[in-house]
Amino acid sequence: MKIGLFIPCYIDAFYPNAGIATLELLEKLGQDVEYPMDQTCCGQPMANSGCNSDAAAAEALFVRNFAKYDAIVMPSGSCTHHVRDNFDAIPQTDDVKHVRKNTFELVEFLHDILKVEEFPWAEFPHKVGLHNSCGTLRALRTASMSELGEPFFSKPMDLLSKVKGISFATPKRPDECCGFGGTFSVTEEAVSARMGLDKVRDHHQAGAEYIVSADTSCMMHQQGCAERGGVPIRFIHIAEILNGARA
Amino acid sequence: MSSRDNILATLRANRPDPAAHPLPPVAMLGDMDNSRQRFENALQLLGGQILLPEEGDTLATAIARRFPDAKIICSAVPDFEGTIRIEDIESPQQAAATDVLVVRSPFGIAEMGSIFLSEAQLNSLNSAAHLTQHIVVILSEDNLSANMHTTYLERPEFHTANYGVLMSGPSATADIQGVLIRGAQGVRSLSVWWE
Amino acid sequence: MKVKPVNHAKAAEEFLEDAPHLTFHDERLWDMRQKRDQQMHLLPEWQDLRTRASEIKEHTLANLPEYLEQFEANAKKNGIHVHWAKDGEEHNRIVAEILEQHGAKTLIKSKSMVTEECDMRAYLQPRGVTVTETDLGERIQQLDDQLPSHIVVPAVHKLVPDVARIFAKNYNTDPNDNSPQSLAEAQRMAARPVILTSDAGMTGGNFLVAETGTFVVCTNEGNADLSATVPNLHIATLGIERLVPRMADLGVFVRLLSRSALGSPITQYTTHFRGPQKGGEMHIILVDNGRSTRLGMEEFWTSLKCIRCGACMNTCPVYRRSGGLSYGAVYSGPIGAIIDPTFNERKYSTLPFASTMNGSCTNVCPVKINIHEQLYKWRRVLAEHHELPFVKREIMHMAGKLMGQPKLYRTAINGTEVALSTLPRFVLYNWLNPWGKHRELPHPVKQTFHSWYKQNRLKKDKAQ
Ligand code: SF4
Repeated sequence: MKIGLFIPCYIDAFYPNAGIATLELLEKLGQDVEYPMDQTCCGQPMANSGCNSDAAAAEALFVRNFAKYDAIVMPSGSCTHHVRDNFDAIPQTDDVKHVRKNTFELVEFLHDILKVEEFPWAEFPHKVGLHNSCGTLRALRTASMSELGEPFFSKPMDLLSKVKGISFATPKRPDECCGFGGTFSVTEEAVSARMGLDKVRDHHQAGAEYIVSADTSCMMHQQGCAERGGVPIRFIHIAEILNGARA
Repeated sequence: MSSRDNILATLRANRPDPAAHPLPPVAMLGDMDNSRQRFENALQLLGGQILLPEEGDTLATAIARRFPDAKIICSAVPDFEGTIRIEDIESPQQAAATDVLVVRSPFGIAEMGSIFLSEAQLNSLNSAAHLTQHIVVILSEDNLSANMHTTYLERPEFHTANYGVLMSGPSATADIQGVLIRGAQGVRSLSVWWE
Repeated sequence: MKVKPVNHAKAAEEFLEDAPHLTFHDERLWDMRQKRDQQMHLLPEWQDLRTRASEIKEHTLANLPEYLEQFEANAKKNGIHVHWAKDGEEHNRIVAEILEQHGAKTLIKSKSMVTEECDMRAYLQPRGVTVTETDLGERIQQLDDQLPSHIVVPAVHKLVPDVARIFAKNYNTDPNDNSPQSLAEAQRMAARPVILTSDAGMTGGNFLVAETGTFVVCTNEGNADLSATVPNLHIATLGIERLVPRMADLGVFVRLLSRSALGSPITQYTTHFRGPQKGGEMHIILVDNGRSTRLGMEEFWTSLKCIRCGACMNTCPVYRRSGGLSYGAVYSGPIGAIIDPTFNERKYSTLPFASTMNGSCTNVCPVKINIHEQLYKWRRVLAEHHELPFVKREIMHMAGKLMGQPKLYRTAINGTEVALSTLPRFVLYNWLNPWGKHRELPHPVKQTFHSWYKQNRLKKDKAQ
């Protein structure tokens, strides 16, 4: 299986370590991974703003970059959601369909496709609060949703539980949205920042040293809120922990 | 074209394909327990009370004990006296002076702790059920329906009564800073007396 | 004059500045959501109920003309006068006419979102009719001259001192009264004489039953039953989408409604009106006001399934932190954001963007309206109809172009000057500036992933 790695723009620019960890982790698991150098964006920001036609160029480029891979993996739930569920600014050719069908968020790829049983190199002796982005939670369904009363499951927690020394904090409102919401974070900055602050406080009060998430965009926002609001908590991408980061 | 015909015509033009949206069969779901215990639990959750008889009690002595200050006790049932009969109340204005109204409900719903009243039980003075300060409802265990589904299927009253109210405990509000207050604008208390 | 879009963001910012109100609002509504969850956990058939409710509603909407005719025929048979109103104006006129025929000058009413839609009080008041809201929350809002901020708990954004202040002004109570009990009692005492002397009563309604010509009103305070039974004239106003086919279908909806709304198994009063009471007269007004048009909107017609439980508002993290009034519309929160634009596309063009599209609303909705997907679709429609702010549209246009050109994009990311063809830099930065108002920026890094990969993988590959 040949894997194409997609690194969303904000990870590329601000959180390269999450991207590096994703790549190294997949390599450690024996995967054949390539990062197409001409990639930019999946089109989500434009589409989510309603400007779907403006997403066409990004979507077309995405397909040009990734159509040749068996699987496309990305450390981002919201980008995966866009490609899988909303990627329709361009004609739905066979290549487009192939890409949409074979795009995976990292956690679901590890959990459902590779079915990874252990991460022997990983140890994280800290109490973490898991943040499921709304994209992973309610669109990709990588964990159970509190509103539905379904039996508990959590793919990210399944994976993290295989890491030595880790323990989990339980926030009061585990699946409340953190308020990032793409352009919402600037057009509705006051509500967005308040939601972020409430979110990091909830984790902090539950005793979390770190907030861990499969979505860097949420964490970028939460980190900004925590730093401004003086909430002492750190942030780490799930790929980094699974790849063996200690702190 | 009248507004009626206009609206209906627009609906006809705009509606989704009826064939794509069949009507599901009537639902018969949930717990089928129609026990007195379930009814009492549900009633109490909604703030209703059970008027429990003590040794040698009649309904009259139980009411006297429960409402010692009541001056006007209105009876809407043949087997209880009260201070006034509902047939002798002429208007809502007169009914508004009632302290306690005693009625008999034809059925209750175990799931909800609800009792049913219609004009048949209120001598057509429907407002009496809401203007009285307190209401005592005589109910028989034999007339409990399990849940909302069974109730709507079983009870003919929904097809005959012009006014049919399911009361589930007393009136209540939480409109001021979320504080739950029993006894809003309708009855301040609702008690069930088992017969 | 051009209508200005509602500035939700600004109103929300003001709401957020008042910590006591904000904290209470958020926690109270979250508590309602928690209570709703508890009820859901008690019923193993919960999801089944939601599916049935959704199917019954979709079926009814697809057959609405027939069911309305059936309802009308049965209601008339039972002695109810049935009226049809194509819009708010006609609705108000009908009410005024009925009142005039009876020489009625005073009207008591229970809560009805449809009369809010029609702005009925403002129509009747100058025509010499005194309208008194009898629902406590709605009355508070009436006295304070505000729209309801929530469809189930209209004054949920207020604290005890706010109510004390309003009641002191209108009911001569103690302005420092800080007991909700005594304030509620003050409302009871003030409302009773008005109820007992009113010429006419009005209610809204939750359901219409085609099979029997019945309408059903679900309330808690007892004020709706008082409004309907004390005066001899009862007018009820309901939207045409409120229908269910069979009496037995009510089982599904009654079981879901209050559990979803407040987390109580049933409302204290569930009242079935099938005909006028002895000596009384009953009118029902079936209101369209845009609904028949909405039924034709392929992507949005299912919003007509709504049973107005408010669960989507209670769970909405944005609503909880911005308050219902910030939506500047009769309907607020998630359901408001998807139906308000059908009333006025420009005015409410901002509301579908007042959301993170997190999807919690869809999950709690008892009739399974795909609210967050409709928010997404509205954004598209509004962009196509040119209802987006110019700057945002241009930025997306520019970003879209940039994202299609990897070389240009790379140069931009790497911080080198790029000719931004459509917008000057300061516009972009101004647009992004709010990020930093309550939040730190991400920390700069030494190297992008792209350049790391080039250095650590591509070079290595070549060396091999
Ligand atoms: S959209 Fe659904 S959740 Fe929201 S008020 Fe309507 S029925 Fe309730």
